[in-house]
Amino acid sequence: MSDKQSAGEWEPKIVAIVCNWCTYAGADLAGISRIQYPPNVRIVRVPCTGRINPFYILKALQEGADGILVSGCHPGECHYITGNLTARRKFAALKSFLGYIGLEGDRTLFTWVSASEGDRFAQVVRGVTDAVRALGPARKLVKAIQGTEGPV
Amino acid sequence: MEQVEKRLREEARKLLSEKKVDVIVGYEEGTLPLTATPCFIATPEEADRLVWNPFCVQNLAKFVHDLLGQHHEAQKRVKPEARRKKRIGVVARGCTTRSLVIQLQEKQYERDEVVIIGVPCGGYVDGRKLAALAGGAEIREGALQGDRVIARTLGGEREAALKEILADNCLTCRFNQPVISDIRTGEPAPAAEAEKEYEPVTAFENLPAAERWAYFEKEMAKCIRCAACRNACPSCYCRICFAEQTQPRWIGIGDDPTDTQLFQLMRLYHMVGRCVDCGACVAVCPMGVDLRKFLKKLDKDAFEMFGHRAGVSIDEPAPLGAYKDNDTEGFIFEPKTGA
Repeated sequence: MSDKQSAGEWEPKIVAIVCNWCTYAGADLAGISRIQYPPNVRIVRVPCTGRINPFYILKALQEGADGILVSGCHPGECHYITGNLTARRKFAALKSFLGYIGLEGDRTLFTWVSASEGDRFAQVVRGVTDAVRALGPARKLVKAIQGTEGPV
Repeated sequence: MEQVEKRLREEARKLLSEKKVDVIVGYEEGTLPLTATPCFIATPEEADRLVWNPFCVQNLAKFVHDLLGQHHEAQKRVKPEARRKKRIGVVARGCTTRSLVIQLQEKQYERDEVVIIGVPCGGYVDGRKLAALAGGAEIREGALQGDRVIARTLGGEREAALKEILADNCLTCRFNQPVISDIRTGEPAPAAEAEKEYEPVTAFENLPAAERWAYFEKEMAKCIRCAACRNACPSCYCRICFAEQTQPRWIGIGDDPTDTQLFQLMRLYHMVGRCVDCGACVAVCPMGVDLRKFLKKLDKDAFEMFGHRAGVSIDEPAPLGAYKDNDTEGFIFEPKTGA
């Protein structure tokens, strides 16, 4: 990755952790509808945003993700009724805390995309990719491989 | 203070002789001057070992949880009809009672398994400030006279006002009265300067991000991952801590600084709305990591975002286990439409 950076070819790596019922279906709809969005996101499907252990986000940052996007059903529309409502509190506290220790706010982004919002999903990915690109490669919390500069 | 100690011993003796409790967790005179150490009192005769003074530092809720956890585990191997409850008496100041409330909220044991002997608390002495008073020399003898602390070293006698060497968390303590208790001893303690409790956090928030990150890195670089903070913390009671889990292995075992940062971040994050600011982790940290700077932020967030104060009411659920329809949405990312 480091030689790519020097050549100015760095592309942000973004982990998108999305819920099965809304955002994943939304991403699917974006695909079916052939809406173009940047290929920088790696989608991880989980049953519900409430299932996401906040450690996943920290761990992804440590393993070299330049940005993390978490997206689920809109509040009130959770397949499991309240999963995203408890997740909202978890992520509000996590984001505030990461900001407090000095991590850039745009590294960790949270949003809601429903199954019918394929265009919104594409917009979110574009927005997130632009935001992370503006920040440049992640440097904080990133674990280096032994003897190299780059992340794992 | 002597009055409280006298009452405390009487109550402890009474509880033990009437068999209302199996054991009392309290503090006894430490082996070094100007210290106190946690102790377990199981017979009425031993009750005179109990002390109550500003050198009682550790949060005893930790021991209550450990004892009851072990007992519950042992009872699983006993025939149902032969099972019995163990009752633990605990000498509890404000922060200890709040930790007990958190453990009760989280259904770790039942209310009738603990007998809480509430004691008034004017704050405890910070070991580091005391060591600084003695100039790093060994304290050979010490005494507490009124609100003056006297420490004798080989180099001579040092003296300070008690207030000058109290721990930082005690100076801005909001809950220095027990929030729940079965037995109360002594008069309520005078209030501390609770309105100043978030001042260091606000000051830190206003620093540029680069400085905050530099401070975080510097503090975490001190950490040797001995897990003393975790072992002293009454809210850290998982049987298998994430730090020791191997599937998945959250925390690498090498000397990479990010592993230490992640260990601390994850442990700190567990404390959203669960940290009572008892200072136990800070007191036991051998490297002097400024954990409180970060813990206090979580406490502030839990209050400002969710209106939650840790360990104040048994009926109130833990903030991250609950939700409201109108919880904060300010952090939600909204893409620019039409982009």
